[in-house]
Amino acid sequence: MKLLLVAEYRDGKALATSNELAAFAEKMGAESVMMMVGNEASLPGYAGTLYLADVAACGEYNPEVHKQLVLDVVGKENPDMIVFSHSSYGWDLAPRVACALKAAQISEVIAVEGGKLVMPACNAKLRRTIACSTAKTVVTLQAGAFSPAAPITAAPQVEKISTSATGKVEFGGYEAAPKTGVDLTKAEIIVSAGRGVGKPENVAVIAALAEALGGEYGASRPVVDNGWADHNRQVGTTGQTVSPKMYVACGISGAVQHLAGMKKSEFIVAINTDKDAPIGEVADVLVVADLMQFVPALTEKVKAL
Amino acid sequence: MEEFTREIYWNVGHGFMTLAPMYLLFIAAMVVLIRGFLERIQVYRLGQPVNRMDNWQARLVDAMRMIFMQLKVARVRRPGMWHAIFFWSFFLLFIGTTLIVLQADFTNLLWGYKFLKGGLYKIFSLVLDLAGLAAIVMLGMLAFRRYFNPPEGLDTKKDDAIMHILLMAILLSGFIIEGARMAATEMNTANKFWSPVGYIFALLFSGLGEGGQLATHRVVWWLHLLMVMGFFMLIPHTKFRHIINTSFNYFFADRGPKGKLVNINLEQEDIEKFGATEVADFTWKDIFDGDACTLCNRCQERCPAYNTGKPLSPKKVVNQISEAAFNTPDASLIELIGKDALWSCTTCRACQEICPASIEHVKKIVDLRRSLVLMEGEFPGDEVMTAMEQTEVNGNPLGMGYAGRGDWAKDLDVAVLEKNADVDVLYFVGCYASFDKRNIAVAKSFIALCKAAGVNVGILGKEEKCCGEPMRKMGNEYLYQSLANENIEMMKTYGVKKIVTACPHCFNTLSKDYRDMGFDIPVEHSTVFLANLLASGKLRVKADGLNCTYHDSCYLGRHNDIYDAPRILLQAAGATMKEMAKNKDEGFCCSAGGGRIMAEEKLGERINIHRVKMAAETGAETLVSNCPFCLTMFEDGIKGAGFEGSMKPRDITEILAERLVA
Amino acid sequence: MGERLEEYSMKILVCIKQVPDMESKFKVAADGAWYDTSELAWRMNEYDEYAVEQAVQLREKEKDAELTVLTIGGDKAIEPLKKALAMGCDRAVHVVDNESFKKEPYQIAGIIAEFAKDKGFDIVFTGMQSQDRGSAQVGILVAEMLGIPSISTIVGFAYAGGAIEVKRELEGGVKAKVSAKLPALVTCQLGLNTPRYPTLPNIMKAKKKPLDTLAVADLLKVDARQSTEKMFFPEKKGGGMILEGDVPALVDKLIAILKEKTSVLK
Repeated sequence: MKLLLVAEYRDGKALATSNELAAFAEKMGAESVMMMVGNEASLPGYAGTLYLADVAACGEYNPEVHKQLVLDVVGKENPDMIVFSHSSYGWDLAPRVACALKAAQISEVIAVEGGKLVMPACNAKLRRTIACSTAKTVVTLQAGAFSPAAPITAAPQVEKISTSATGKVEFGGYEAAPKTGVDLTKAEIIVSAGRGVGKPENVAVIAALAEALGGEYGASRPVVDNGWADHNRQVGTTGQTVSPKMYVACGISGAVQHLAGMKKSEFIVAINTDKDAPIGEVADVLVVADLMQFVPALTEKVKAL
Repeated sequence: MEEFTREIYWNVGHGFMTLAPMYLLFIAAMVVLIRGFLERIQVYRLGQPVNRMDNWQARLVDAMRMIFMQLKVARVRRPGMWHAIFFWSFFLLFIGTTLIVLQADFTNLLWGYKFLKGGLYKIFSLVLDLAGLAAIVMLGMLAFRRYFNPPEGLDTKKDDAIMHILLMAILLSGFIIEGARMAATEMNTANKFWSPVGYIFALLFSGLGEGGQLATHRVVWWLHLLMVMGFFMLIPHTKFRHIINTSFNYFFADRGPKGKLVNINLEQEDIEKFGATEVADFTWKDIFDGDACTLCNRCQERCPAYNTGKPLSPKKVVNQISEAAFNTPDASLIELIGKDALWSCTTCRACQEICPASIEHVKKIVDLRRSLVLMEGEFPGDEVMTAMEQTEVNGNPLGMGYAGRGDWAKDLDVAVLEKNADVDVLYFVGCYASFDKRNIAVAKSFIALCKAAGVNVGILGKEEKCCGEPMRKMGNEYLYQSLANENIEMMKTYGVKKIVTACPHCFNTLSKDYRDMGFDIPVEHSTVFLANLLASGKLRVKADGLNCTYHDSCYLGRHNDIYDAPRILLQAAGATMKEMAKNKDEGFCCSAGGGRIMAEEKLGERINIHRVKMAAETGAETLVSNCPFCLTMFEDGIKGAGFEGSMKPRDITEILAERLVA
Repeated sequence: MGERLEEYSMKILVCIKQVPDMESKFKVAADGAWYDTSELAWRMNEYDEYAVEQAVQLREKEKDAELTVLTIGGDKAIEPLKKALAMGCDRAVHVVDNESFKKEPYQIAGIIAEFAKDKGFDIVFTGMQSQDRGSAQVGILVAEMLGIPSISTIVGFAYAGGAIEVKRELEGGVKAKVSAKLPALVTCQLGLNTPRYPTLPNIMKAKKKPLDTLAVADLLKVDARQSTEKMFFPEKKGGGMILEGDVPALVDKLIAILKEKTSVLK
């Protein structure tokens, strides 16, 4: 089996998610080639051929052009599967490629079990597997679902590609997220507030535990959307992806987007009244309790240590 | 010896020169009075029609009782009794004057018949003297209170000064006239003692000489007449109008059931506007209420929102509406009153319950909320919109999957009507007792009590939906009616004979609001139901000491006057109950009514903490309540106030269940 | 580009899907290939609510516009259509299909594209993905089939003079500014706007708005490329401990575990 791995480049850097694509290829026991619309100055670590298109010529966001480039590489390499990250780049580009190739697309793969690709359904409460009837398949991988044992450091063999295709959308640059000084990616301990805190004032209870533990407090998307916490506290696909020594998820059900942001934490504690909450999937310890009772009690005990 | 009497019109003259100007002035005063009210009626009529003439005989009787026994006014003892005594005194004086006119200008003039003489006249004079004295003393005390020691929030305006001064002048001038007359005519008779106050005034004039006494008498007589005519003219134009308006407001009062809101007929396709934004959207009664208001401030004093720093004052709302009606009828009342004020109301009814003028505060606020929700899709916060949407999807504002509504009872061997509808009593559980962990304990306790008493009880389980009350009070009449219709349909299908609920909000809604929608199954609150079981001996509990205080929830208390049953239950449970200062109909809201259980409290001090502190003042270890909202608020409030170790919130059902005799 | 004509009428399409409320307790269907649809509460896909709101906002700004809302589903699917009409759509199209859940994104897109291809829509709004299947494909596929540009994951939208300017939401809270000329399709992300609560007059008016019913067989012109083989509950991860009991005991237990298994407590 041969896979074409489509790596991402943004704002001057090749994204580290290329490692995940490679890890997936390994998991599938397949050979692979990689491609990227990027720049020689920032190449992903990859032991193999990297088809590189010049981002300056093609544009960072230019789906029709990127699609054509992918189709060109597909024409050259004839892979069985074209693999993207399930990211704002991947889920935007993959369906276009799939449509052009008349291929089925399998989105947000989280695991390979018994040779079958597994996806989440219904807010990660369920799983499903797919039967495809097309020659080729397009696949997108959930962020963090596949990780190599160590970041790949090999240098790829670069083959330059280009296209004369043009696109109908115009990319007008980025708007940075407002920064207010908290970098969760550097915190060793994070205690996060989820919808289960119920009220804005209760976020302070979470922050108190974080402080007692010597860490930072984070929040799930609903909490940030409600204005109960600043966006720079958000953990998840559209917030920050963190991998602290310990992550305490308070009143967080474990929606896929949040899990993707903290799954790689070394030790995960979940506090939830629902024993079956999806967060239990990734948690090392699930404490079934009302967080408004448990967290203050825990904070007191921790302070006394 | 001549019978004791007095010559009416003595010294003033009973001829044309007296009667003509007197009656002309009287007619002029009446014209001004009537025109004044006719003008005001034009403004009342800016409002929508509403029938408050139905059952007029009962209305009349109740109005008479409330006016003449000053029942509502005297509910607040001190100033209330002073006003009552003042009112009775002034009324007696009014009757007295009327009797004099009757005799002097009619019975004696036309048929030579006098009745104010002899024994009757003695009593007449004594009573009126004492009445006048009482009126002066009461008026003095009321004035002192208003001007030197007013309670916080009392508005004192120009009208008040006019009223106090004019009435005092009328009263004093009355005695001056009497005194001058007695000084000239009665000092040598024993009868003077039948007019004791007049006698004292007479002593003041004793040194004046007859000429002076006569002159004083004549001048002050005419002055008194002018002031009284002036008083009549001022009635419609000053706060004096409450004599008429408040009296009529008793007649036009909402005859209940207490707290029931008016259904909007959603079948009517041509209604273009729902709820109220301006004066014309309210009823004439809503505008009339403003005229009946005397700014006594009792409502504002008791409003839980006002007392915790929210911008809501029920007094202000009532008056802003009528002020707009008289001055700026096209104004947006929403902007005038302010959304924060409107959303702060918990519909606790403290205002309406205490109002001595039978004003309806709550419905005005709900009408304004209805326009915001139904016409603008606006809510006090996103969390409320979410709760509404969750109710639409899952039949409860908590956003819990509807299919799990009966899960709390899974292991309890309770009949679920879908499978077994042969039950005596349907326990309408409510959203909180079905889904909220703390309140599920109460539901389980209730079932335990039912089983112990041998009651065949069943639940609807996942077929039960929110009763719709919080949505209705927030103004979402449409969602409320959808829920109500579905619940009613469901209960009728099963042929339910009797419903018991432990939630006062569900109880209030099913037993009153649902009646407008063709629902007539009898409904009882659990405390009454359990008290009956206790009384009949079917339920037995052992007394096991409990140091507690009891919170009368607004919806069981003020809305439904159920104060005794819970206390009977507590007594049976062996509780030593210390009442809070604000209890029974003066109970202070927990904050969750009016749909606010769905909302976040963002302004001022938290009402639940305020109430919990009141409970802590009793020194009780347990705060007993009868409502899932109160229990939820007290769990939160006790933590917020830092009382976790010293006071525990419990529901009365739990306390009883713990004491079941095996 | 050419001048805007006086009678230029904008035609907008928004595609919605009815999904189960995610708080429901799910069960796997008897055939093991989907979730059991009994005892579920249903609602409009959350992403589609943002799409409808944005479409309505656009329609309100452009006085000569007409906004059509379309859904594919069984009889129950009429409810979200009614809500969309009450939010401000002008007309609704119900493609009746009691087995829509058996269809895969390519077929769904095919049905929509078949409906839309001759209608001259200037702009199409869809949700970025559905809450149940979450494949995030249909929107882009429809655009590819119609041959119009598409932009996914928008959290900002503006329209002026025949072109749209949108902001895409990227990882880390960064936004990308993208513009395109109409006709175009956008897929909407959560937080794009605040979906309105339907007002009662609009709910009543919605009852009178045109609702066309179409048979899915007439519009399904493409073959399936995939099907769900199995739907199942994930295995509980071994090694994950579940702690239950009284709060004080739980606190002590957790602290003991943390001391034993991590270095976070000194």
